[in-house]
Amino acid sequence: MDFLDLNFVWISLSALLIAIPCSLVGVFLVLRKMAMLGDAISHAVLPGIVIAYYFSDSYQSIPMLLGAASVGLLCTYLIETFNKVGRLQEDASIGVTYTWLFALGVVMISFMNDNVDLDQDCVLYGEIAYVPLDTLSIFGALIPRAVVNGSFLTTLIALLLIVGFKGFKLTTFDPVYATAIGISITFWHYLLMGMVSTVTILSFESIGAILVLAFLVIPPAIAYLLTNRLMSMIYLSMVFSLVAVILGYILAYKINSSISGAIASILALEFLVVFIGLQIFKILRRRATKVSYSN
Amino acid sequence: MFVGKGKNIMKKLVGFLISCSLLVSCTSSSVEVKSEVENSPISIVTTTGMIGDLLDILLPEEFKVTRLMKAGVDPHYYKATQGDLVLMQKADLIVYNGLHLEGKMTEIFEKLSRRKKVLAVTGALPENRLRKTSEFATGIDPHVWFDVALWSTICEDVAKELVVYYPNWAVKIEENKNRYIDELSALNSEIIVALSSIPQERRVLLTAHDAFAYFGRAYDIDVRGLQGISTSTEYGIKDIEDAVDLIIEKEIKAVFVESSVSPKALQAVVEKCNSKGHDLVIGGELFSDSMGEENTKEGTYIGMLRHNVETIVTALK
Repeated sequence: MDFLDLNFVWISLSALLIAIPCSLVGVFLVLRKMAMLGDAISHAVLPGIVIAYYFSDSYQSIPMLLGAASVGLLCTYLIETFNKVGRLQEDASIGVTYTWLFALGVVMISFMNDNVDLDQDCVLYGEIAYVPLDTLSIFGALIPRAVVNGSFLTTLIALLLIVGFKGFKLTTFDPVYATAIGISITFWHYLLMGMVSTVTILSFESIGAILVLAFLVIPPAIAYLLTNRLMSMIYLSMVFSLVAVILGYILAYKINSSISGAIASILALEFLVVFIGLQIFKILRRRATKVSYSN
Repeated sequence: MFVGKGKNIMKKLVGFLISCSLLVSCTSSSVEVKSEVENSPISIVTTTGMIGDLLDILLPEEFKVTRLMKAGVDPHYYKATQGDLVLMQKADLIVYNGLHLEGKMTEIFEKLSRRKKVLAVTGALPENRLRKTSEFATGIDPHVWFDVALWSTICEDVAKELVVYYPNWAVKIEENKNRYIDELSALNSEIIVALSSIPQERRVLLTAHDAFAYFGRAYDIDVRGLQGISTSTEYGIKDIEDAVDLIIEKEIKAVFVESSVSPKALQAVVEKCNSKGHDLVIGGELFSDSMGEENTKEGTYIGMLRHNVETIVTALK
């Protein structure tokens, strides 16, 4: 138990405070077959960063976040517009939008005569290992900024979800019925997209991209394999995140590796275990029913 | 009905958060005691190998210098491990390059400097000796170590700070510094002599990314990078075309790969030149953003520069 110290507490807490909102929105993304949205946003923010750099002439986080967030929202807006107005499939409009925005960012960097040092990795994406080093003083206690941001994010997303649970649920599962009883699909869709955009970009800044993308998709996917009830899917997704955060941290501690890499790997491992376990379970059950038939 | 279930999540969330904060308050007191027990040797953490080497030379043996970035690592994309975090927390002094060489990590160092001894080696350099790369205030080339005279100034600056931090070892640090400054000035003249054996018109150094601009400025070599200053910007088709034209026009015999950057783009240039009938080879590997393995000749600053100069001279002469 020698890994148990303040670093463990802060790092796992910050990871968890991002995993929770990621699960909350991720479940709906998986159900709506839009799981790649987070990945798309992570690429699409590049032009926002370039513009933020151009006007602020610094590498500070706040302008970068503002730039990234506005392009993130633009990205989700465009995806929706291509999908709704142009009748392009959801996955295709995601593909079109983010590749185009990313390319725009690359061209913009070339325009700045190639000599600025700019990309998501070096100005936006944080690193979870540094969480305990970047603290704010709150009532005399030194609390990592990532934990403060995470608490804010978790509260915001949880509140929005509680208030709008019925809307999210109906427009996800039965859009036709929802329209019939006068619920605006577009409104709930945009709200969800806005939430995803906010969650991913704020979280990228706190703990890095790969971990956020993993939290957004893998736990909801595991839960999806195990249940077909929405509430259990949300709970299961959070539980799998929690287990992965703790086991991942211990793994990183034992083999001295990247913490986000270790947590994401444990998430993948959980997925594999559940996936293979379910297949074995199915085979066993089939055999059992055969046996009972032959009896 | 849905709202009721939502409240349930909230309750569990709140409960979880409270238990977490309890855990924090229990563990925090025990941690502080642990770190006070061990206090020798004094631990210094540096980002790049170049800085690690400098501090190893300046400081007496009561200090232990640890480099975060191992050989072959691109400082830009450095990913910290769990152990690195502990190293930085336990370090008495953290030394880094600055000028955004360490990317997003720079911001963490700046914040840490409010609570801890943190030193940017380029922090005291006068602006007129730095190379601007664009009209932006932040657009400054961070690869300062390739100009030996500039590195020598950095050595002086760092020694000055170290004496302030560790006055008990001031004499020793001064001594080490003076010896090393002499070595550096010998190295500087050695490089000038060695490079002068390359005919002026053939002194073109073409590499994957633009890390050698200070080197070029200091030793009168025309330096061309395919990729620009950051290892992340992509090279364009025109960059490759331009490079090929330049090579054929100036009859350059070799281009160079770097230890921490992918050689793909340069291979494209070599193939294109060869298909146009111009003999071009890859002249060897240069160390750019990181040095060789620790405890080898190329794992020291002086050894690394010698290796680079030898490689360049052999290939271009």
